[in-house]
Amino acid sequence: MANIAAQRIKREFREVVTSEEVQRCAIKLELVNDSFTELRGEIGGPPDTPYEGANYVLEIKVPETYPFNPPKVRFVTKIWHPNISSVTGAICLDILKDQWAAAMTLRTVLLSLQALLAAAEPDDPQDAVVARQYKEKNDLFRLTARHWGAAYAGGPDRNSDFENKIRRLLDMGVEEHKARVALSSYDWDLERATEQLFS
Amino acid sequence: MADYFSELGFRPLAEGEVPDHGAHLLRLLRDSGNFDLLQMFVELRGEGGSSAPAASKAAVQALPLVQPLENENCAVCLKNYDEESQCRMMPCKHKFHQECIFTWLKQTNSCPICRKELPTDDLDYEAIRKHKERESERNQQLESLHNSMFS
Repeated sequence: MANIAAQRIKREFREVVTSEEVQRCAIKLELVNDSFTELRGEIGGPPDTPYEGANYVLEIKVPETYPFNPPKVRFVTKIWHPNISSVTGAICLDILKDQWAAAMTLRTVLLSLQALLAAAEPDDPQDAVVARQYKEKNDLFRLTARHWGAAYAGGPDRNSDFENKIRRLLDMGVEEHKARVALSSYDWDLERATEQLFS
Repeated sequence: MADYFSELGFRPLAEGEVPDHGAHLLRLLRDSGNFDLLQMFVELRGEGGSSAPAASKAAVQALPLVQPLENENCAVCLKNYDEESQCRMMPCKHKFHQECIFTWLKQTNSCPICRKELPTDDLDYEAIRKHKERESERNQQLESLHNSMFS
């Protein structure tokens, strides 16, 4: 890795570890290897959102041309959000693409992602299914996002109605995550989800 | 006497070369002042959507050399400046190591901290930018006129 990238990550690492957000447990950053090319980030779900109380793990890959090009970031923890793929964890956020600026840091990236959880952009979606639910059935979207937070990210409130529907599909031999995806995608309509799974 | 085509900057196609119809279309749109369509095509052609082109070489070379304070650091590499640091200042007064800011400006034309733009050598981009500026000026004038009439 180019010297400037590694040196900068080292400096940033110190900045994040001593930052005030870490003290509040809002963001976390860990090294994955010794060459500073890969890191593991963690953000807490912002208060007053369906993600509150949950913790999301991120995979951060630092390109050789960093900081002139943005880091590649992806959600490892499964999440239900219009701008994040529920399948791959890929993120649609301008600063990770063409709006990157060399003065941004891993700390500002993590804080921007936290802000994205609090303010989705459904008109510029990464996951069209989630975005449609966000716009057309926002209450159901919030419940679903909260349920995913509880199922995958240590959040509160698993929602017993949703749990029961998943259990019905489990009894039919469907794998749990597949059942959750199908139900979430069909607005928790058990009949339509079953139809899709067995068609 | 130079012929008509070479005067306009055209050259014969090399063997096996295909004419760049996209570039001709952009030129046509630019010259005819159809900026909305021009912007759409520029964004379609460029990878990653609307990312801006490199800063103009002349503008980069004209950035003044400055003496930084020793307790300041460069926002690109995050290192503190020392006595040997060669620093350049952007029009927005943000300072960076010469090497850091030159590398950045080869890629895009804005300040890494505040995004204030430098001119570029890209004629299409500059045409769109001027068009946008004029548009926002017009909107402001319209608004102030509206306010003066109805307040």
